[in-house]
Amino acid sequence: MSSLAPATDKNVDEVKRSFLAELDIDPITFSVILNRFSTIAREMTLTLEYTSWTSILAVARDFSCAIYDAQPRQVCMEDALPIHTNSLHVILKSMVKAFDGNVYDGDVIVSNYPYAGNTHVGDFVTATPVFYQGKHMFWSVTKGHQLDCGAYEATSVAPSAKDVWQEALQIPPIKFYEKGEPRQDVIDLYLANVRYQELLSGDLKAQLGSIWNGKRRMIELVDEYGPEETMRYVEAILDYADRRTADEIRTMPDGKYYAEGYVDTDGAGNTDLKVAVTLNIDDDKIHADFTGSAPQGSGGTNGTQGVMEASAGIPILCAIDAEIPHNDGCLRHITCYSPEGTIVKAKYPAATAMATLCPAGQEQEVVWKALAQACPERSSAGYGHFHCIPTISGVDEREGESKGWSAMFFNGGPAGGASYGADGWPLIMTSSGMGGLKIISAELTELLYPILIDYHEIEKDSMGHGRTMGGTGIRIRVSPYDTPMDCHNTGDGAANPPFGLQGGTPGIGGGNYRENLSSGHRDYCSSKGYLKISKGEAWVGVSSGGGGFGDPLERDPNLVVEHVRDGIISGDTARNIYGVIFNEDTYVLDAGATEKNRQGLKEKQGELPLIQPMGPSASKWLENDMREGDNYLLDPLP
Amino acid sequence: MQYTLGVDIGGTFTDFSLIDAEGKITLWKEASTPKDSKQAIIKGLNAMSENEKLPLSDFLGRLDLFVHGQTIATNTVIQRNGPKTAVLCTEGFRDVIHFRDGFKPQRYNIQLQPPKDFVPRYLRIPVMERVNYKGDILKALDEESVFEAIKTLKKEKVEAVAVSFLWSVVNASHERRVKEILKAELPDIPVVASSDALPIIREWERTTCAILSAYVLPGISKYMIELEDWLHSNGFKHPLLVMQLNGGTSTVSKLLEKSINAIASGPAAAPMAGLFASKRMDVDNVITVDMGGTSFDVSLVTKGAPSLTRDLKIHENPVGVAAVDVHSIGAGGGSIAWIDPGGALMVGPQSAGAEPGPAAYNQGGTKPTCTDANLVLGYINPDFFLGGRRTVDTTLSEKAIKQHIADPLGLTVPEAAHGIFRIINNNMVDAIRVVSVERGIDPRHYSLVSGGGAGNIHAGMLGSTLGMKQVLIPRYSGVFCSFGMIVSDVRHDHLKAFTANTDKFNLTAVNEVIADLEKKAVDEMVEEGYPEGEVILKRFADAKYPAQIHELTVDVPSDKVLDESDIKVLENSFHDLHEQMFTYSVRESSVDIFHWRVVAYRSVKEPNSQIMDLSSDAIEVAKKGTRDVYFGDINDYRSTQIYDGSSIRHGMVIKGPAVVEETTTTIVIFPGQNLTVNRFGDFVLNLES
Repeated sequence: MSSLAPATDKNVDEVKRSFLAELDIDPITFSVILNRFSTIAREMTLTLEYTSWTSILAVARDFSCAIYDAQPRQVCMEDALPIHTNSLHVILKSMVKAFDGNVYDGDVIVSNYPYAGNTHVGDFVTATPVFYQGKHMFWSVTKGHQLDCGAYEATSVAPSAKDVWQEALQIPPIKFYEKGEPRQDVIDLYLANVRYQELLSGDLKAQLGSIWNGKRRMIELVDEYGPEETMRYVEAILDYADRRTADEIRTMPDGKYYAEGYVDTDGAGNTDLKVAVTLNIDDDKIHADFTGSAPQGSGGTNGTQGVMEASAGIPILCAIDAEIPHNDGCLRHITCYSPEGTIVKAKYPAATAMATLCPAGQEQEVVWKALAQACPERSSAGYGHFHCIPTISGVDEREGESKGWSAMFFNGGPAGGASYGADGWPLIMTSSGMGGLKIISAELTELLYPILIDYHEIEKDSMGHGRTMGGTGIRIRVSPYDTPMDCHNTGDGAANPPFGLQGGTPGIGGGNYRENLSSGHRDYCSSKGYLKISKGEAWVGVSSGGGGFGDPLERDPNLVVEHVRDGIISGDTARNIYGVIFNEDTYVLDAGATEKNRQGLKEKQGELPLIQPMGPSASKWLENDMREGDNYLLDPLP
Repeated sequence: MQYTLGVDIGGTFTDFSLIDAEGKITLWKEASTPKDSKQAIIKGLNAMSENEKLPLSDFLGRLDLFVHGQTIATNTVIQRNGPKTAVLCTEGFRDVIHFRDGFKPQRYNIQLQPPKDFVPRYLRIPVMERVNYKGDILKALDEESVFEAIKTLKKEKVEAVAVSFLWSVVNASHERRVKEILKAELPDIPVVASSDALPIIREWERTTCAILSAYVLPGISKYMIELEDWLHSNGFKHPLLVMQLNGGTSTVSKLLEKSINAIASGPAAAPMAGLFASKRMDVDNVITVDMGGTSFDVSLVTKGAPSLTRDLKIHENPVGVAAVDVHSIGAGGGSIAWIDPGGALMVGPQSAGAEPGPAAYNQGGTKPTCTDANLVLGYINPDFFLGGRRTVDTTLSEKAIKQHIADPLGLTVPEAAHGIFRIINNNMVDAIRVVSVERGIDPRHYSLVSGGGAGNIHAGMLGSTLGMKQVLIPRYSGVFCSFGMIVSDVRHDHLKAFTANTDKFNLTAVNEVIADLEKKAVDEMVEEGYPEGEVILKRFADAKYPAQIHELTVDVPSDKVLDESDIKVLENSFHDLHEQMFTYSVRESSVDIFHWRVVAYRSVKEPNSQIMDLSSDAIEVAKKGTRDVYFGDINDYRSTQIYDGSSIRHGMVIKGPAVVEETTTTIVIFPGQNLTVNRFGDFVLNLES
C-alpha cells in the first residue's frame, strides 16, 4: 500500500501490547510458525503448477492450495487465485459433513458440486486429512479449474447450459482414496465422463501430489512443535489476522453504500441483467447484501454461494494491508447474503457453469463501486471481465494422426483498472484472478495447438483515462490450420465496460468477431457465445483496457506525450482528454500551452463523477466498429 | 614463484584472493571505486606486489591465472544507464515485453505500479516477416521494412539493437539477414540476434535476453578490453578470464559474444568456493551460505555440480540462460528488527546498511539490527569489532532493542535480542529450504559451507536446525567469491531447440543435433586456446510429459553416439527426477524433449594446499579470556570461554559453548557443538557430539 498511510498508524503500540497481554504465547515461535505455514502453502502451489498437464493449471495457475484445521477453518492459503481465497471453506465444510465420523488417514475426498458450496463445476476440489498419532488435525486441500468437466459442449464454463445436467458431471463429495488405497472404480467413473482423459488424469495426479506434499510438511511441523503447541499457535495466528483485519476495517467510515452494475447477457439472449449490492460497513465488520439483483438467467451465467463469498471478499482484501494472512481470522470479518433464485445465487437445478467469471466479475465490481463511496483511494477503477478469452478446441492433424485438443486462450484478455496509486496492469483478465493467471507464449501455443497467432498487440485508446490510467487492452487474431476450431466465448463486460472512478473514464468494452480472410466480412459476437472458425477465417478479439482513476487533466503531461509517441493513446486523446499539447514531430511537451489548455478544459468540466458509466450497455465500441454488411450475433449457440 | 589470483568487485569492497605455488593464501580487501572499477584493482595489485616484495610488472608476469568478477553489467541494468536500445521484432508482435507472461505479483496490492517496459514501444520496431513452428517461411523477409526500421534507428540515434523474431529458434535466416543489413548500414552499433543470445522456444525470455545482451554490451566491452590491455601492458602474459553467471569462466572475447553471461556473475563463484573446501574433506554435496551486511545468499552443489536455474530475473526481466541458482534474501548484519501492526516480530528485509548502520555504530541509526542483537547477546566482542577497526557502543544496541522490541513485546532486552537472533536464523533456514527442500533435496545429506564475515555467528544454529552434521568455515571465508573464481572451470553452454518424443525417437536426427552442438563447443574452446583433448563435454535435455508445459533438465548419456538403449535411460532419468521433485511420475507415459544442451568445460588446475601439521600444543595457548554470552538452551547469560582463532591448531578440539574470534569473522560454538581445525586450516564446526 505504498503511497497510502497504513490504516493502523494510530495506537500501534497499544495494539501490540494488548495483543500480547491476551495471548500467553512466545512471540518468536509465533513468527516462526506463521512463516512456516506460508512456506508449506507455497510448496503445495509449486508442486501443482510445475506438474499439471493442462495450461489452465500449469500456466494460467487457475488453482489454489490451502491448509485447514479439522473443523475446518482456513489456516493458510497461497493466494494463487483470489476467487478461491474466500470460498474454499464453503465446499470443504460440505465435504467434511458428508463424511463425518468416516474420515481416515490416507483418504482423499473430492467434489465439484456447486450446490454443496463449490464455486462452479469447473473447479475440482481434492482434500486429504492430516492425522498425527491417530488424531485428525488438519486438511490439506487444493482447488483446480479443470479443462473439461463433461458438459454438453467442449467447455468447462458453458454459457448456454440450461441446467446442472447440461453443464457437467456433478460430483457431490466422494472418496477417490480410502485409507491410502485408490478407489479405482470411482476414479474410472469420473474419467469416463470427461473429455481429454489423459490430460485430466495428469491434472488429477498434480492435485494429489500437491495435497500429499502439504500433508508431509504439516506432519513435519507437528513433529517439531507437538500437537498441542501447534494448535495453540494456530489459534494465535487466527487471532492475529482477526485483530489486524478489524483494525483496518475500523478505519473505513461506517455506513451503508449501494451500487449496481450489469451482466452483458445470460448466455441465452437476455441482456443487461442487474447485479446490486448494499455494503454495510459496521465497526470491524463488512456485510455485502446482494438483494435487488436480477432474477437468475436461463444460461450458465448464474452465481453460487461460494462465488458470492469470494466476490464480496476480494475488493475488501485489496483495501486492507495485503500482508495480513488470508486465514479464517481475516475472512470472518466479511459476510454476505443473497436471496435464492437470483443471478447472484441461483436455485437448483439452474446451471452455474460460468459463476467464477460471470456474475463473479460484476459482483466484485459493485463491491468496488460501493467501497469507493466510503473510501475511494482504497478502492479501484473497473476491471475487464474475462472478455476475449475463448475456450478453443478442435482436432490436430498436423502430425498425421488425429487428436483432440482444447485450451483456454488467455493471450488477448482484458486489463486491470487503475487505483489511486498505480496504473492498471495489462492481461489481468478478471478481478477473480487479479493477475494470478499467466499466458502461454505465442510460440508454445503454436507448438502445442494447430493455430496461428497473426498479431497480438496493444489496442490504442482501449483503456480508461485518468490521473492513473487503466491497463492496456489487446487486439489479437487467431486462425486455424486445415481443421476448423470451435470457439466458445465465455466472457462479459463488453457492452458494460470497466468503470472509471473519481473522474477517470471507462475502458472501451471491446468485442470479438469472426473474420473472413478473403471477403473481410465480420460476424460480431456478444461476449458469450459460440463461433465456428474454419480454414480461411480467423477469430479476432479486441479486449477492453481497465478503467481510469482520477482527473485525466492531472496526469503527468510528460507521461502523456510518451504514450502518444508509443502509440498507446492517440494525439486527439492527449489533447482533448488529457489536455496535453506537444510537438507532433519531436514529441516535446509544450508546457505553457498544456497548462492553458488544461485550464480551459477544467472550466468546462463541471463536477467529476465518482463513477462512470452508471447505466447499462454504455459501450459504444460495437456501433463504432461495425461496418455496412457485418453481422451481430447475440449469444449464438453451436 | 608463480601465482593465481581472483578479483571480485563488490558494492563496498573489491576482494582479492592470491595463492602462491606452495599453496599459501593471501587475502586482500580494497575499497571499491564505483566510478572507475579498474582503480581499486590497480591499487590492490600494487599493494599485493609490494607485499610479495616484487615490482608490479614482475608480480603480474608471475600470474598464471587472473580471474575477474565484475558488477558493471548488473549495475547498468539496475540503474538503467546503458545505451539507447531498440528491438526489431516480427510485425504484429511489438508488445511481447509489455505483455510478459501476464503475471502480477502481490495479487492484493492494487497500489503496485506495473513495470516499465525495458525498451519503450516507439523503439520496438516491426519488420515484415513470419516463420512457423516448423521453420517454414510463411511471409518472406521484406527488406524494405528493414530499411524503414533503419531510418528510425538513425533518426532516434539508437546506440544498440536487438533483433528478435518469432520462431527464429527453428529458422534463424531472417534474423541473420537483418543482422547483416544492420552491420552494413550501422557498422558502429552492436547488434544481438535472439537466436544467438538464447535459442530457446518462448519469445519473451528470448527477446529479453537479446535486449539485455545488447544493452550491457558496450559498457562491459569497453571495461574488459581496457582492463585486459592495462594488464598486458603491465606485464601480465595470459588472457584475462572473467566469471560468468553460469558458474564458469570465459575469455573476454567469448564473453562479449554472449554478453548476458556477464550479468550477476560475482555470486556465481560461491558454489565452487564451497566445493573446494568440502572436496578436500571428500564431501561433494554442499550448501553454501554467504551472509554480508544486507543480504544472505544460498547456493547448492550436488555431486560436485552447482545447481543451475533458468528462471533468474533482473528487475522482473527474465535472463533465460542457465545461471547458478543463487537464492538471495534480505538478511544480513544490518537487517532491521521491527514489529508489524499485528504484534509479530520481523527482521529485514530493510537494512540499515553501512550508513547509518546498526544502532551500535553511533552514526545516527536508532533502529535495532541483527548486529545489535549479536552484541547484546555477547556473540560479538565490542572491543574487537572487525578486528578492532571500528568502535561500537553496546549500550546503544540495548537502548534500541528495549525501545523498539523488548518493551512493546513485554520481554527483557536479552530475550528480545535472542528473539531477533532466532527470527533471522529462521529466515535464513527458510532461504536454504527454498533451494533444497522445495527442489526435492534433503539438506541433511549436505554439508554447510559458510562464507562472509557475518554468517559464522549463525552458521552453527542454521546447520543444526536443518539437521546437518557439520559446518565448514574455510580460511578464505571473508573473501569467499574471489577465491571461488580461481577454482572455477572454463565453461560454455550450447543449446538447440529440437523436438523429440521417446516413443517415436529419431536417433539419427538427435545424434546429428548433438554432434553439431559438440563440434561447435570444441571449436570454440580450441579458439580460446585450450587443447582439444582437455575439453570435457556433458549433455542435457529439457524434458516433460507430452502435454505438460514446464520442463525439467535431465542428464543425457555423454561421450557416445546415442543408441536405442539410451532412449530408455533418458526416459527413466526423467521419471526419477519428476518423482523426486513432485512426489509422482507417470512411468507408462512417453517423454517429450524440446531443447538439447551441451556444456563444455575445461578444468582449471587446482591450486596447491598448505598442510598444517598436527599440533600437540595444549588448547590453553588459544584462550583469550571469558565473557558473558547468552544461550537459548538456558535462556540466560553464562560465563563463556573466548578463543583467538589464529592460535587454534590442527588437532585441537574446542567444546561449546565458546566463541572464536578472528580479524575477519567470529564463530559461535553452541552448547553441544565443538570446533576443530582440519589439516588445511579450515574450521570444522561439528554439530553432533
